Amino acid sequence: MKRSFRELSVLGALAAVLVGMAIFAPAFFSPQPLLSLLTREAPTLVVACGMACVIITRQIDISVGSMFSVCSVCAGLLAARGWPLLLVLPASVALGALLGAVNGLLVAGLRLPSIVVTLATMVTLRQGLNLVRQGEFVNLPDRIQWFGLSQMAGQLVLVGASVAFLVALALAMRHVAGGRFVYAVGTDAEAARLAGIRPQRVTFLVFVFIGALTGLAAMMNLAQSPQVQPLSGAGLELKVIAAVVVGGVAISGGRGNLWGAFAGLLLLACVSPALIHLHIEAYWEKAIQGAIILLAVVADGLRTRKLNR
Amino acid sequence: MKKILLHLCTAGAVLLASLVTATAADSKLVVAMLPKSKGNAYFISCKVGADKAAKELGIQLLFDGPTDSNAAKQNEIVENWITLGVDVIAVAAENKEGISTALRKAQKAGIKVLTFDADAMTDARSFFVNQATPEGIGQGLMDEAARLTNSEGEFAMIVASLTASNQREWQQHIEARLKEKYPKMKLVAVRPCDDLKDKAQSEATALLSANPKLKLIMAICSPGVPGAAEAVKQAGLTGKVKVMGLGLPNENKRYVHAGVTDSIILWNTGDLGYLAIYAGVALAKDELKQGAKTFKAGSLGTFTIAGDNILLGKPFIFNKANIDQFDF
Repeated sequence: MKRSFRELSVLGALAAVLVGMAIFAPAFFSPQPLLSLLTREAPTLVVACGMACVIITRQIDISVGSMFSVCSVCAGLLAARGWPLLLVLPASVALGALLGAVNGLLVAGLRLPSIVVTLATMVTLRQGLNLVRQGEFVNLPDRIQWFGLSQMAGQLVLVGASVAFLVALALAMRHVAGGRFVYAVGTDAEAARLAGIRPQRVTFLVFVFIGALTGLAAMMNLAQSPQVQPLSGAGLELKVIAAVVVGGVAISGGRGNLWGAFAGLLLLACVSPALIHLHIEAYWEKAIQGAIILLAVVADGLRTRKLNR
Repeated sequence: MKKILLHLCTAGAVLLASLVTATAADSKLVVAMLPKSKGNAYFISCKVGADKAAKELGIQLLFDGPTDSNAAKQNEIVENWITLGVDVIAVAAENKEGISTALRKAQKAGIKVLTFDADAMTDARSFFVNQATPEGIGQGLMDEAARLTNSEGEFAMIVASLTASNQREWQQHIEARLKEKYPKMKLVAVRPCDDLKDKAQSEATALLSANPKLKLIMAICSPGVPGAAEAVKQAGLTGKVKVMGLGLPNENKRYVHAGVTDSIILWNTGDLGYLAIYAGVALAKDELKQGAKTFKAGSLGTFTIAGDNILLGKPFIFNKANIDQFDF
């Protein structure tokens, strides 16, 4: 109970918001719009899972937004050339993994700080994409949207797949050796090394992992509309890092879990539609999201001080 | 030795340039048009109008620009044109300050300079062919929204951000027009989409469920229009909630044809190119002088001049009937 205090407090805040919405704006829960909004967040959830792993390893990856854009555009162009979905999907995942491997090599291989490395790849990928595409949309063939299913089925598949993935990964992080290694490296890399884990290899693989997940998420987003904007994914890094931090994953590594990140993501994602339903001016949106993040960080700080005493 | 060679080269260049000018003067007026980027579909559609004007006026049109939006490359091209001795240069400036030095140099060399689409410093050109004033855009958007909703009911707006100055300015003109002419219409929400189509889609989805009486969504940033259209389509409200806004034809074609989006508002890029060439030729022939109040451009008729801005006038409305004629 005490160990999952942070996760439970986020869950509590989320529940409070939902109850508030049920009282003041019950239309928030109309099934179709709610399913649409959840579908919009499904790709973000997948990237947030990867980001949680990266942060638990005491690293960070701020290039996810740019990787997302590059994967989206490349996958879109392949699909537009007539590649079948069964090939486009793995291609997008592989491209993401490759981009992640570049980050991973620089961070784990050369021992460079991940914030600088991923800042560099973030800017390089974004500007490279701007140069090549000049902001032009990619038009997709009709069969891509909803994977050729009906809209409802497609939305259910996307939401279902992202939640199933979350559950599987959350369990793996707890019960599979590889998952435990991630925590071990993030808690104390030297101790992990003495215990026979190879911290640099774990770090490298975590970057490849988040890259692959970003490629997957790009496909999940691609399936929701008939065209790709090259800017798609800009700002994604802030969204997922915020979700993970609000969800109780310690930025200093080693602590936190995916359930918390999930609750954090939902809480932050609620803000904008909730304000729209309550007819509150948009100026408040970023202020409220910022306050939630600040509150989470302060709560962490207080807790750490208490533990150290 | 080196110095002599240099002198020889310069002399040669001058001779060549004067020769070119001479031949140009003998035959046709040469108007050089410099887009921000020559591969960009937007400017290619400007060129269609420019070509038409060139044909009507019997002049020679040079159309060249950087392959990507590159301010330094623009300067290089202007320098080349000065050497070549063209009569008129019409520029869409990538960098306002950056291009102006080269343009002043061109003016000193006796070349008439005007800008279109994106202005340079005012002392570096004679006229700016202004495709749209904030007032014109704001009123055009609001009038079209009123036309689509029979001037009554609720509507919502999607903007790029709440703080960007051009967005604020357009929004103010929209709201002023609303207050002045359409008392039965009500703006219920203004949501930012950070220039992201995906975010516009999420915002529009929430707007639709929170405002069941919504009759129209107006997006005043280009990614906002297809984003809102996708949301309306997914909510099954095609036709019931209208979508319109400021955008590019190619990004919206499929929604316009599907009946989700009713109108896209921008300016007619072909007319912009046409007007720029007519104005350039009139400048060269001394028919267009500072202080003129109006200007007549061939088949397009008469345009208003405000100060040193030649105004293209009312924005152009792309809809099902005409959108396929535009490819940008």
